[in-house]
Amino acid sequence: MNLEALIPEYVRGFQAYVPSKPDHLLMREYGASMLHRLNNNENPLGPPPAAARVIAAFPPERAAIYPSGDSYDLRQSLGARLGIAADRILVGNGSCEVISSVIKAFCQPGDNIVTADKTFAVYEWVAEFSGIEARLTPLRDYAFDPQAMLDRIDRHTKILFVCNPNNPTGTYWTQQMLVDFLEQAGEDRIVVVDEAYREYIDDPEYPDTIGLMERFPNLVVFRTFSKMYALAGLRVGYLAGTEAVVEVVRRTSVAYSVNVQAQQAALAALEDDREHIAATRTLVREGMRLVVGACRDLELETVGGAGNYLMIRTPINDMLMYRRLMKRGMMVRTMTGFRFPGWIRVTLREIPVMASFAAILAEEVHAIRNQRVPA
Amino acid sequence: MKQAKSRSHSLSSRLPFKGAFLPLAMSLVEKGAEGFGYGRREAGGLVLAMEELFSFYARQATADSAIDVDLEDQGYRLALTLTFRMANPDLRAFNLTWNCSLDSEESLELLGPMLAARSVSSLRLDFGTDDQVVLRLARNRAYPPAADVPLPPGGLKSPLRLLEPSADDLRHFAAMAVAAGSPFLPGFLARPGMAADMLAAGHIGALLIEQDNWIRGGVLWHPLTGSCLELYGPYIFGPDADAQGVTLLLDAAVARISRSPYRGLVRRQGVLAGFERFFDFLGELHLRRGDAAIRSTCYYRQLKEESSGTVYCAEPLASFLDKQYDRLCLPRQIRQAGSDPARLRDGSVLAVELEHERSLAILRPLCAGKDMAANLTAHLDMLRGEGIGNFLVELNTGRSEDTAFAAPLAETGFVPRLVIPDAGQGDLVVYDHPAPEGRV
Repeated sequence: MNLEALIPEYVRGFQAYVPSKPDHLLMREYGASMLHRLNNNENPLGPPPAAARVIAAFPPERAAIYPSGDSYDLRQSLGARLGIAADRILVGNGSCEVISSVIKAFCQPGDNIVTADKTFAVYEWVAEFSGIEARLTPLRDYAFDPQAMLDRIDRHTKILFVCNPNNPTGTYWTQQMLVDFLEQAGEDRIVVVDEAYREYIDDPEYPDTIGLMERFPNLVVFRTFSKMYALAGLRVGYLAGTEAVVEVVRRTSVAYSVNVQAQQAALAALEDDREHIAATRTLVREGMRLVVGACRDLELETVGGAGNYLMIRTPINDMLMYRRLMKRGMMVRTMTGFRFPGWIRVTLREIPVMASFAAILAEEVHAIRNQRVPA
Repeated sequence: MKQAKSRSHSLSSRLPFKGAFLPLAMSLVEKGAEGFGYGRREAGGLVLAMEELFSFYARQATADSAIDVDLEDQGYRLALTLTFRMANPDLRAFNLTWNCSLDSEESLELLGPMLAARSVSSLRLDFGTDDQVVLRLARNRAYPPAADVPLPPGGLKSPLRLLEPSADDLRHFAAMAVAAGSPFLPGFLARPGMAADMLAAGHIGALLIEQDNWIRGGVLWHPLTGSCLELYGPYIFGPDADAQGVTLLLDAAVARISRSPYRGLVRRQGVLAGFERFFDFLGELHLRRGDAAIRSTCYYRQLKEESSGTVYCAEPLASFLDKQYDRLCLPRQIRQAGSDPARLRDGSVLAVELEHERSLAILRPLCAGKDMAANLTAHLDMLRGEGIGNFLVELNTGRSEDTAFAAPLAETGFVPRLVIPDAGQGDLVVYDHPAPEGRV
């Protein structure tokens, strides 16, 4: 069998993403007695209480029954919350699935998408392994640069992806910036705003994307239950757009991809999120203050803002810092893969974990600075 | 850097692996090379290699077997790949030290592969599953040396700017690197036309910086192995205040290749000030140039977070690896190898890559055998006789045929100096051979 001949050119050169191994294996490999995951921007508080109860009480016999193929009840609830018809919402197996659905719905080989070079990689990956050109623009002051994106548009541009706030830099566009961008981008292409971390932001200037859809019918928004709602293990995300746009995306989406427990937990999380969001924001704010202070003491540059994460510039290359921290039981995200070599990204968690991280980071930085490095 | 095989520049054929099809196989290569615009001299080496390898292995092939022939014009070279299935293929003649004896019928039979190995620019052997043997041969185009070009004047003022080079930009940059007398120039940069064609073929990646319309420097990368890239440079023409040019180039180069399929990036070109932000220090190789002892400093950076593995080997390699893995915080499990020397085949095989400019031979184990120490010694003696004074051995930790060489390497004076993580099948251990005093 000549497997190579079967593989499309754009898949042949593509490398599969390798997720991290389970904790017990990583701890054994690195000889660490404990492991704190500070790499995936998860919420350590866990899901809102009502969602936690739904998960705990999940009746095993329900596992034998197919879920709602289009997350009917969840869409009704989301629609009520957002003030839009349920048909304007499409629920997926995490927001990664809806990214894929949107690209499949609107792009064909020869088309292109435009996004930033230093952002969540999945827009670029899905485009590339689908044979779609990903046009990448540099950030300006660690933020998406609207003009740079507009400059890359041509008649083959089908989708513009804006990560707002940006992962990993935490910068975000305000309502006015987004409106200006949408006006200049025109109606001939889809503008996706990925709001995976929107619930961490408490700023009246943050865009009301749902409200803007009346004026800009080409606007699509992505949201997720993985971050603030702490349902990352159940994989639930969704997109919202106009009925016409969502109807097209639904054609390229797989029904039944969101399991029944995930749908029920997300539904419960929505109905019990007020105190959960407040508590999470407080936790992130305190964690941010602690780690930023520790980095200032160590004279390490940081970049952060919105979102439950912080970028730290490391005195050695980020990959070696990652391995050194892994040996101490702290798993961070290296930023080489985000095209920020020499930086790590740290998830902001509860204070005891952040204090422990800050102490270990300080020890490692001092050890690095004190050691005689051959040159 | 994306390497693409263009269907309009390649041809493939599956032939019965029988002597009767040899003329067709040869004709395929000859006419194909002609069609792709290669001259007689470039094509001739590949045709000869095809003739010798096809006829030698067709005699050993089973009656119903086939051979896949792929010829590809890669712009700067013509690449021929032969793929077939064979249990225990005879590879001894690929040893550089193989001597043909007119008195020995077996020796005469092995003359063919030896001629093939020496008539091409490069030859690589890979072994796949189900007894698959892949012979990859290439013959480079002939390129003129670099013409003299001016270097940037002093006093340039505008900010440095990154430039994504065209093939012409890179051709000019390569000529500047030669004119500047930059140390550690790889062979492809010494021939600017070759560098330009390699860039066009996607076989190297490059970024340049410019200032006031002058090219001020550049950095290049090229696959060292299927999983590891090698970085060349940064080369800077003129002063580089606060290492601005180096930092700009390295940040951009690492960002550019960070989402490539490669797992690591190695730099083997001597000391780089302020390397810590970009690289891990791997170690130094002890080489000689003329009467002078020189140390080749090696740096590395991982490109993917996940890196782990198990190494089966014996002392003294195990202790060396343990120390290196600990220093680099690399998660590796070292287990005692259980190979039985009595079960080894008689003859070991080594591939040799020569760099005459650096008086350097890089030896790579292909097959372990009972004669490993003697074979290494024979290679050293023969290569010294040809004026080579520096010897490196690259050994894959994930390949038992390689790790079997650890004891014979120690026995013959080779010293493990550094480990390049994930650079081969497993990690790549690099040995050098401390040169005897004197000029090489």
